[in-house]
Amino acid sequence: MAIVELENVKKVYTLGKAEVHALRGVTFAIDKGDFASIVGPSGSGKSTILNLIGCIDQPTEGVVRIDGTITEGLKDKGLTTLRHETLGFIFQSFNLIPVLNVYENIEFPLLLGKNRPSKKEIKEWIEFLVEAVGLADHMHHKSNELSGGQRQRVAIARALATKPEIVLADEPTANLDSKTGQSIIELMKKMNAELNTTFIFSTHDRTIMEIADHVIQLLDGLVVEDSKTGAKAGNLL
Amino acid sequence: MFLTMKVAFRNISRQKKRSFLLAGAIAFGMLVITLINALTGGVVGNIRDNFSHALGGHVFIMGREWTDAGQMIMKIRPDGRLDRLLEENAAQIEGFTRRSQAMPSLIFGSKQTMHLLYGVDFEEEDKLLGSLAVTEGSLNEVLTQDDVIILPQPVAERLGVLVGETLLIRLETLTGQQNVGEVKVAALIEDQEQLGLSASYISRSYLNALLGMDPHEYQLLNMFVTDLDGVEIFARTFREALRNPDEQEEVEAEAEPEVSVTVGGMPIDPLPQQEEVTRWEGTRYQVMNINQIMEAVELVVGVLNRVGLVIFLILLVVTMVGITNTFRMMMIERTKEIGTMRAFGMHQKQVKHIFLWEAVFLGLLGCLAGLVLSAVVTLVVGSIRFNAAPSMQFFLDDGRISFALSLPETILNTALVVFTSLIAAYWPARAAAKLSPMKALSSHT
Repeated sequence: MAIVELENVKKVYTLGKAEVHALRGVTFAIDKGDFASIVGPSGSGKSTILNLIGCIDQPTEGVVRIDGTITEGLKDKGLTTLRHETLGFIFQSFNLIPVLNVYENIEFPLLLGKNRPSKKEIKEWIEFLVEAVGLADHMHHKSNELSGGQRQRVAIARALATKPEIVLADEPTANLDSKTGQSIIELMKKMNAELNTTFIFSTHDRTIMEIADHVIQLLDGLVVEDSKTGAKAGNLL
Repeated sequence: MFLTMKVAFRNISRQKKRSFLLAGAIAFGMLVITLINALTGGVVGNIRDNFSHALGGHVFIMGREWTDAGQMIMKIRPDGRLDRLLEENAAQIEGFTRRSQAMPSLIFGSKQTMHLLYGVDFEEEDKLLGSLAVTEGSLNEVLTQDDVIILPQPVAERLGVLVGETLLIRLETLTGQQNVGEVKVAALIEDQEQLGLSASYISRSYLNALLGMDPHEYQLLNMFVTDLDGVEIFARTFREALRNPDEQEEVEAEAEPEVSVTVGGMPIDPLPQQEEVTRWEGTRYQVMNINQIMEAVELVVGVLNRVGLVIFLILLVVTMVGITNTFRMMMIERTKEIGTMRAFGMHQKQVKHIFLWEAVFLGLLGCLAGLVLSAVVTLVVGSIRFNAAPSMQFFLDDGRISFALSLPETILNTALVVFTSLIAAYWPARAAAKLSPMKALSSHT
């Protein structure tokens, strides 16, 4: 069952008087529980797709459907609620909130919504997540007291805090050494398997692509290969 | 709300130096206004105390009656109603004095001047002696001799009289005859004419004799009350209880008596010229209180407070500009963070609240620091005993500057600071809330 669907999505940015066609008619679907990778060279439209799926940007044309909801026409409030309830984010540069410690960073998304779990439930769930990402000893450390790999682990736990259907990761290993990057990907894969959360990440890293069970290759704003459907627009990578 | 408050509070400690400077600017403004308010409050209290000692009380009762010859005179005779009232309200009366008064000509050689003269029972009024700022001579003599006078320095200078010399007092008796007395100058005191209080003092029995009154009669009954806050109610109790039935209708038509605190400086209301004089039987009483006399002083103090407020507002505006700029800078610095929070589902309103809470905390921290600094300054300055000019002693409490801070004023100033901080932070907060999550996340800050 598709949890993310893009139908003929186009995205045009205006830079001064020039128009940049970031996406030129992208169509694909990602099923629930997929560990999907969007790959392609710089400027191919990976981040734009993640922004559209993450509801932090809107397409110029086409339909983006997240867990059955079409994002077009949703106001800021609706998009924010959709993000909070359905999506989690992992960023290339971790983006932890510096004034909060590990526990508080993970707790942060849980405190934003209206239907909050009880304090006890929150505590138990965060302790589970912290344990799962291997940071039980660093619960009360601030982000500047952690290494890059540890920060990204916190970011993974935070992305999973609200038990989202989808976690989006924009080049999650780009700022990490290969060994740490590998361990992060393995952790994501583990969480994907354990929680049946859909992971969608953009990457350049071939080794990471190999772990993915669904790879979408982009070039110049178009899908050139979708491993699930077998669709190919040519051997471009 | 708790989350936004928590993040805001932590953000304050993020850039310690910057927060310290901003809160410091607010604290300075708060220090200035608090000190001005506390100082004026203390000065008012001291003037009120010194006034009440000089005038012999907080509540003043005067008696007026008509003579057989058709003259209205000021006199209080023994009166059961008054005695009963004093007895009934004894718990609220700290002490009372009975004075006579006149506006005689003081003559020395070829010079003369008219000046208010109080006839005082000096043994009864030890507080008065304590409040007078003596510039020359001694007050000891007035306790042992009747025919000695305490003169304000400027009056002595006008007359050219020195301590120990004798001058003449010429006045009209209550019934209109001319009378003359001879008194020796015992002491010169600092004049308070600029505050509407300038009087000479003499023994009441001596003045009574000159005025043609019996020694047990007097013209003013002055009372010190135990609770100064309730002085208005206390005065009203006496006013209403001493009102004759025939007075009722006339009084209802009259407004509260206005007191002129100028040269006479006395809480008296001599028969107004425009008043249509209707004779009455017996004694009519007029009751006034210190607040009516303090109005003039409080007017001056009010101006001082307003000047302080203007300085405070100018400082606030300067601080406001600082806060706005700092918050704009903060917004730019935290763009990516704002994007992250928005990505995770933080609503625009919540982002705005983080910034606004920061402004509130900064304002409150600044106020708190300002108040603590003010407390330190007032404690230090208040403990110093100044050897100030005698005229300044009227503003001091036993040579010390007193500070009295009113809680409502402090709350009002704090609210003003917090409100101004909120206004200053509002536009950067709004801009932060309106940031597009995508643009914020792609920012390099």
